[in-house]
Amino acid sequence: MVVVFPLLALLLSAHPTSSGIPQGSFEQIAKRADAARAADRMEDAIGLYTAGVRLRPSWSDGWWSLGSLFYDQDRFPEAEAAFKRFVALAPKSGPAYAFLGLCEYETKDYERALQHLQTWSAKGFPGTTDLIDVAVFHWALLLTRKGRFVESLYLLAVEAGKLRGGPALVEAMGLASLRMPNLPEDYPPERREMVWLAGEAALYSALPSNDSDRAAEYARRLLFHYDHEPNVHYFRGTVLNFERKSAEAEEEFRQELQISPRHVPAMVELARLNLSHDQTAEALSFAKSAAEIEPKNPEAHHMLGRVLLTTKQLPESARELETAKQLAPDVASIRYHLARAYAALGRAKEADREVAAYHVLRDKQQVLAPPQEKLGALRKPTEPPE
Amino acid sequence: MIVPPAVIILTFAALPLQATPKPQLACSTPPNLGTFEQLSREADRARDENRYQDAIRLYRQGLEIKPTWDEGLWSLSTLLYEKEQYSDARDLLRRFVSRVPQAGPGWALLGMSEFQTREYSRVVDHLQRSRSLGLGDRKDMAQSVAYFAAVSLTRMEQYDNSMDLLYETVNAGRCDTAVQEAAGLAALRMPLLPAEIPPDRREMILLAGSGFCAAQMGQQEDAEKQFRKMAEMYPNEPGVHFLFGTFLTNVRPEDGIRELKREIEVSPFHVPARLRLADIYLKQQQPDQALPLAEEAVKLAPNEASSHMVYGEALAAKRDLARAIPELEKAREQGPDVVRVHFDLLRAYSAAGRPGDANREKETIENLRRPGSEQ
Repeated sequence: MVVVFPLLALLLSAHPTSSGIPQGSFEQIAKRADAARAADRMEDAIGLYTAGVRLRPSWSDGWWSLGSLFYDQDRFPEAEAAFKRFVALAPKSGPAYAFLGLCEYETKDYERALQHLQTWSAKGFPGTTDLIDVAVFHWALLLTRKGRFVESLYLLAVEAGKLRGGPALVEAMGLASLRMPNLPEDYPPERREMVWLAGEAALYSALPSNDSDRAAEYARRLLFHYDHEPNVHYFRGTVLNFERKSAEAEEEFRQELQISPRHVPAMVELARLNLSHDQTAEALSFAKSAAEIEPKNPEAHHMLGRVLLTTKQLPESARELETAKQLAPDVASIRYHLARAYAALGRAKEADREVAAYHVLRDKQQVLAPPQEKLGALRKPTEPPE
Repeated sequence: MIVPPAVIILTFAALPLQATPKPQLACSTPPNLGTFEQLSREADRARDENRYQDAIRLYRQGLEIKPTWDEGLWSLSTLLYEKEQYSDARDLLRRFVSRVPQAGPGWALLGMSEFQTREYSRVVDHLQRSRSLGLGDRKDMAQSVAYFAAVSLTRMEQYDNSMDLLYETVNAGRCDTAVQEAAGLAALRMPLLPAEIPPDRREMILLAGSGFCAAQMGQQEDAEKQFRKMAEMYPNEPGVHFLFGTFLTNVRPEDGIRELKREIEVSPFHVPARLRLADIYLKQQQPDQALPLAEEAVKLAPNEASSHMVYGEALAAKRDLARAIPELEKAREQGPDVVRVHFDLLRAYSAAGRPGDANREKETIENLRRPGSEQ
């Protein structure tokens, strides 16, 4: 037997349902819709805007208002439909792409959500501070879901500086830090504590005050309970590396390879550390393995190209760096190393072209720069990338 | 006993469901009243005769004709919730509460649907709204709402608010395993749901929860036994000595102080342990002991009202009103509804010869204590 709450029955009987279709000319309905919205009569406003866009489907302001009203009520399927109509009518409007992407996130249309949030970012992040924070946060979540963890963490670190934490931000940072291609809504419950501890460690590392002691405390707890889980030692290594504790970082990356022998990011980091200590033989071994395991990973080819450049295997170096460039054309540091390889090979014209590309990309100061570039931004402008 | 979501409203055998209707905007068909009235009657009849598959189909058809059909939205939402189609139920309930915003049960069912779709910040907002609007005489639903709100608050790191709800639950005479898990997590300040408890610490959490229940029910000896066992079995886990120490401060303050100090050794950034210790020292009129602890708390948690409040109290106890008043004013800014801060300010302004400001604090206290205020 279905039980409908008695209280609800009373409420429903007392509720004046506005089921009638608003009557009048388009101009009258539009005016009444705006007045209803201004007076916080949201359901009336929705009915009136709906009638308005039915009379005049090209009424972009009506679609915008309708989308906004539905969005404010968490009615995302309806808001998404309205914003889609709006951007079709007014494709140059920036904030609408953020709202559309956010609605698509909520309706689980993740590919389109990512696409629209990227469109929004390309337009220069237009919108209020609140919209920017929410949109950047969801964009980061979608990047994590796609396995673009570094870019996601970059965006989340910017948010951490502004918001100074919060459970949602910590969870998002934890997922990206542990390289879990999941959304907060869809990862296994048994991994929750691990995500939380990693997120807290990442947050305190990322805050402008860089509270490394507190970050270390959370990382200690993470290792205490989840020492044998994949990605935990890699994450600890990246934090230590960021704190310039390279010997300890190296130990963590090596432990990660004990647990996950095909862990490409750990191999790339070890090759980088080897290279900085002139241990080119092991660097070459790690970089080669990384590029073999993940032939479509630009960082693996980039690192292999750098090692080969150091060992003066110039044609091989150029070939690897060209592959890296093809896979990641926007990464300035790849262009820098490719320019050096071409210059060493005496291919001056191509070297000049890559130097020019390097300056353009570096000066763009993209939001989605990889961490090497992010760190590079902290250096003096004349200093070359690692 | 907490009512599991699937039996809150209705119980029936599993039935296949149709896809969610597409959102209706400007293009919905104008209502054909004859057809609609017939459909709505048939939908209600199907529901009353337990033909749920038919009911769901008919309600969907009715809502396609008349998207503003509130009874249809509600009936279909409850059917979908019962069939564990939580995201479909949630979307319909959002439409429903936007049309009938005073419906406490509507917000409750929305919050519980969002719990299942793991949207915890929305759960907290919507379940609190349902509680403030009221749920009529649905005691089983009210219990479930309190439980889901409490575990969601813990997940969102609002441990004290969570424990306030769990106190109510325990005071109503319930302390089953589900409540113990929820209470243990909140008391140990672990932002996890019961379903997320790590297996190697389930016992620790249950000991914390059963101690919490016993303490709340006035069974002090049993509570101490549970907490002591927890501290002995898990001496290096964060939160354990804080919980035991907080309990002991009301029984044997010196033992409580020892446990709280131990907590700071185990978790060097534990703010509540510092604040609790500072509070005890202030009660023992030892402001020199309280001051450094409160100062550290402010450094560790500069956005917490309680840090500034206790630091301000410690400074006031040292008669350093010039520094105490700005700290208490920061606490007021961050926690305007905390009565204790206004009392502190009332005393501090009076001592500083600022009667106008003191009177304003007095008025605020009276307003906050008035029945119906949020406090």
